[in-house]
Amino acid sequence: MSPLIELTGVSKILKGQQEPRTILDGVDLEVNAGRSIAIVGRSGSGKSTLLSVLGLFDRADEGTYRLDGQDITRLPERRAAKLRSSHFGFVFQRFFLLKHLTAAQNVSMALVNGQGWLPRRNRRAQVMAALDQVGIAHLARNKPPRMSGGEQQRVAIARALVRNPKILLADEPTGALDTETGTSVIDSLLAATGRGCGLVLVTHDRDHAARMDRTLDLVDGVLTERVPA
Amino acid sequence: MIRLSGRFRSALIIGLQGIRARKTRTLLSMISLFLGVLAVVVVQTGASIAERARLADVELTEGIDGTTVLELNPTPEAAKIVVDTLDGSTGATALVSVAATIGEPGVTAVNPGGSPFDEDWGAPQDCTPDGVCTARPAGQAIDLQISAMTSDVREFRPFRHRSGEWLDFTTIPALAPRLVLNEEAARGFAEHRVPAELHIPGATSNITPQFIGVVDDGNTSPTAYARLDELNNWLSAEGVVDPNGGNGVQVMLAPGNPVAQVLTAKLRGIGVDTYARTINSRKDMQDELKLFRLIFLAMAALVLLIGVAGILNVGLATVGERVEEFALRRAVGTPRSLLAGIVLAETLLTGLLTAAAAIGLSAAGLKALSALFGDQQPFLRDVQFPWEAGVAGIIAGLIAGILGGFVPALRAAGIPIATVMRA
Repeated sequence: MSPLIELTGVSKILKGQQEPRTILDGVDLEVNAGRSIAIVGRSGSGKSTLLSVLGLFDRADEGTYRLDGQDITRLPERRAAKLRSSHFGFVFQRFFLLKHLTAAQNVSMALVNGQGWLPRRNRRAQVMAALDQVGIAHLARNKPPRMSGGEQQRVAIARALVRNPKILLADEPTGALDTETGTSVIDSLLAATGRGCGLVLVTHDRDHAARMDRTLDLVDGVLTERVPA
Repeated sequence: MIRLSGRFRSALIIGLQGIRARKTRTLLSMISLFLGVLAVVVVQTGASIAERARLADVELTEGIDGTTVLELNPTPEAAKIVVDTLDGSTGATALVSVAATIGEPGVTAVNPGGSPFDEDWGAPQDCTPDGVCTARPAGQAIDLQISAMTSDVREFRPFRHRSGEWLDFTTIPALAPRLVLNEEAARGFAEHRVPAELHIPGATSNITPQFIGVVDDGNTSPTAYARLDELNNWLSAEGVVDPNGGNGVQVMLAPGNPVAQVLTAKLRGIGVDTYARTINSRKDMQDELKLFRLIFLAMAALVLLIGVAGILNVGLATVGERVEEFALRRAVGTPRSLLAGIVLAETLLTGLLTAAAAIGLSAAGLKALSALFGDQQPFLRDVQFPWEAGVAGIIAGLIAGILGGFVPALRAAGIPIATVMRA
């Protein structure tokens, strides 16, 4: 079975006002369906840049990116937006929920994105199913300011799951949460891999990383497999 | 049913959510835009009402748009042909103008020559064949024009009823001709007491007329309207025409009436030329008011531009505050064009709401003006809010929405998606 994502020799060079700086240096990575990967590394090691390249927010300067076997290294923005909608779910450290919308409306945001149109009834059903997956269907009508941090992050995860993505990309999803809440958030993410979703988790937390199938270290843009102790 | 595209619907839904979330900002945008849109609506309303008022006045004297008017020299033969041809036909009427005096015979009337009562055109004189002229003595008489009709002229000239009744063309002609006076003639008879004796040159005798009503015909000279067949009891069709002057014979025909061709051919047969014209007052009015309308609209557009600057300012500030939201939307697959569409949808909806408010206020204001001053100003009586002004308001609101939202929309579309990663 071919991997969902296959990065080969991907490099990203930051061309700022000073000398060019290599952020990613010949990264090779495979993400498979139903498998989870943790990427750990110090601040500034290029974790978020790698996630940006994986999530089609940014393009690699060198190397190839294959998604579902298709080479998408040089993809126009319109196609990239379509793929972000159809293939990816994103969870960020900050929840990025819109305060004026209810939990259900926040989740629905991923469905009302101009990529096809779902009738309201179907939309509602999908939103409720996603909220149910993360165990907060009862909070559908609540607005973010009335929810705890853990609940808000679960809404964000529901938003990432609502389109049944093939790959979940999570950038420090537990960074703003206490240990217990963080653990339950990781539980929700891992539950998605049980449904065949690939998961890439960027984290500083060794315990969370240890729960993934693989752990990769990113040091100065170079990605290496961590050998279990 | 019109099926809107998913992208369009998404823009509308998210735009409405944005408006609901930022009510105060939307209100501020609306306030900044309101005066501009209101100015456009008011200018358009004023121009439309002025045009209609002018048109209504012109229709009284000239005829409604599309009416064909045939003018011809007033010869007795021509008059007879006109009367005979129009007899029994619909959609056509002939007006034969005769000079008449009501009151004492052989005197200088209070309005010599049928002039308006506030004007003095000089006393008429009687001249002998050897050129000796003497002024008539002053007396109790009123000179006026009588417009004798073959059928109801109001089909073409919608006179405004003032009092009494209009001529009934279905009854047997009365021996005492029934006259409907215009307002100036009615004023003259109200201010001056004159004997009820009608003198028409060429009539077999003096007649006692019946005044049956008063109309506003837009004419400032005293005029009376009568049935031609009632005058014919006292003078022949040929006799009513004064070959030495008068207003002549005028035929008014509905658009496309074939009688026009028949009549023209018959008159040409006896060597009488006709001059035909079609009334097109609306276009004339529009041309006349075009410059004024443009000047006022330009001023309104300036006020609107100030409003656009306001909405632009609020829009830019709002996009600045929503950087993360737009970056997140891009992250979940929203294309740049939809982000621009969301901002434009918000400003367009704001423009439309403002237009609705401006139109509502204008319509209510017009109704109030009509109720308060309708008795003093005839053009405000029963005036309706012109739909053109409503359309202009909506267009102004939409244009302001597009202009005010364009730059913020571009900004929103250009927000880098990595904003969410760096936050």
